Amino acid sequence: MDSLITAAARALAAGDPLAALKRVALRDDAPALALRGIAMAQLGDLARAKVLLRRAARAFGPREAVARARCVVAEAEIALVSRDLGWPARALDAARAILLAHGDHVNAAQARHIEARRLLLIGRLDAAEERLGEPAPLPLPPALLAAREMVLAGIALRRLRTGPARAALERAGQAARDADIPALTAEVAAAASVLHRPAARLIAGGQARPLLLAAVEAVLASDALVVDACRHVVRDAGVVVSLATRPVLFALARALAEAWPGDVSRDRLVRLAFGAKVADESHRARLRVEIGRLRAALRAQATLRATSQGFALAPRRASEVVVLARPVEEAHAGVLAFLADGEAWSSSALALALGTSQRTVQRALDELAAAGKAQAFGHGRARRWVTPPVPGFTTTLLLPGPLPGG
Amino acid sequence: MKTTAAEILREYGPFSGVDAVHGVTFDGQHVWFASGDRLNALDPAGGQVARSIDVPAHAGTAFDGRHLFQIAEDRILKIDPESGQVLASIPAPGQGGDSGMAWAEGSLWVGQHRGRKIHQVDPETGTILRTIESDRVVTGVTWVDGALWHGTWEGEDSDVRRIDPETGAVLAAIEMPAGMGVSGLEADGGDRFFCGGGKSGRVRAIRRPAGSSGTGGR
Repeated sequence: MDSLITAAARALAAGDPLAALKRVALRDDAPALALRGIAMAQLGDLARAKVLLRRAARAFGPREAVARARCVVAEAEIALVSRDLGWPARALDAARAILLAHGDHVNAAQARHIEARRLLLIGRLDAAEERLGEPAPLPLPPALLAAREMVLAGIALRRLRTGPARAALERAGQAARDADIPALTAEVAAAASVLHRPAARLIAGGQARPLLLAAVEAVLASDALVVDACRHVVRDAGVVVSLATRPVLFALARALAEAWPGDVSRDRLVRLAFGAKVADESHRARLRVEIGRLRAALRAQATLRATSQGFALAPRRASEVVVLARPVEEAHAGVLAFLADGEAWSSSALALALGTSQRTVQRALDELAAAGKAQAFGHGRARRWVTPPVPGFTTTLLLPGPLPGG
Repeated sequence: MKTTAAEILREYGPFSGVDAVHGVTFDGQHVWFASGDRLNALDPAGGQVARSIDVPAHAGTAFDGRHLFQIAEDRILKIDPESGQVLASIPAPGQGGDSGMAWAEGSLWVGQHRGRKIHQVDPETGTILRTIESDRVVTGVTWVDGALWHGTWEGEDSDVRRIDPETGAVLAAIEMPAGMGVSGLEADGGDRFFCGGGKSGRVRAIRRPAGSSGTGGR
């Protein structure tokens, strides 16, 4: 390395990106471009950082494969943090192979974590876990270890496994303190708070009470028949039936579950399912049809008994029937139910699934985004929506040092 | 051109508080190496750092028999090794792109890293007297027995090579083992080169091939 690059790299390592920039601001050689890119990323100008790192990768010579690979990894991390899924995963994979082949295990691990975070973001939990499962040959530096545990916690939370999630978050917190990066420690703490906030409401026997995530997990593992209004599914110990694309059936199922073991009158069911004020003969005919469909859908889990007033739910295996609802019943519950499955949805797919117009879905998504209940990434047709928060996406960039060893 | 594999005679370090070695020189007793914010005097027999001088030290280091010269950012500092005081400074010829440095025959010889050049510089004024082109990134420079040697370290490949000071043609090369780079170079006058090891934080002694004296004249 040359003298100003050394001075700038030292400033960057000491957490002073402005001092680093001052020394290499006017230079356009490869190491200077890479340093400027990292400094700009730390200063929050991700768009500029991406351009600089891309130029740096091109400017490194044919003998500097490792330096170029580090630039690719840094650019991938910036793409991930800015939720740009247009990032070519193949380039990152190739960079990781180069880093491994040259013994740069730490940055190879960093590349693997970025891949895992991307897979978690697009809802491919098994693939993300598999990627993280590959053992690292060296002890990782604490900051990288914290990021890894955050991804593991994110996967566990998506699967509603609060025990492993809590353990991973504790390990992440310790690693963040070891790394001595206050922003990272704060981020882990913010992610962990999801375990201590009500995640849902349990409605049973005419009573409602808030549940923490661990209690939600316990309810889902119990032998109750659960009508899950967070995800619009009906589940018991054996079967999960999704009614997400059938809002009328779900509304009926929920009304019957909330009244269990009592029944619900036909008028009330018509009101709830069709939004009609008074039930006339045509509504009653339609109700019979929908009840028949619900009977078919829930055939393995419950029977629908006709009563003198209306209908009642009777589970086949389960000892009780409960409803799991969002902590606060809110608008756009249908959209949120889809997003709650952890997948990344396009607005057109949501419109298709909900049987409504894309404009309506778009309006709902914009309102949810403004309320912090939905998050978009990507642009144009590639734009996808998820529910925040998912731990595992540190905004604290852990960029690799993209400089040659000399 | 004759190419040989480097024979590592001894490895020094890692040293506490040193995360990288950026330049080396030899004052006949100690090997001085630059480690970012200080110059360290290493006893090559015992392998210990005897003392250090707090001074910015980002690249090449040289010794003229009385003073240490040290590249810091885009300047060359002239330092009294006894007191550690900076006595003077001149602009570095590569304007901060400077890497290795040697002293010989009244001039400083400064490697310009990615510029792939070696400049002969007046140590009083910093004036560039002439420039030798290399075909590799220059990381360390030394003169011994009238022969000009420099280190190269480009990505994963590193060697120590003797070049013709007139034409820049490569006359001999000593290839470093994989994973070892040269970030500073100094001959001890005998059969050893001292090499800075960059981010490994080490200093290595390698054997200087016999019969490698120069063509004379310097």
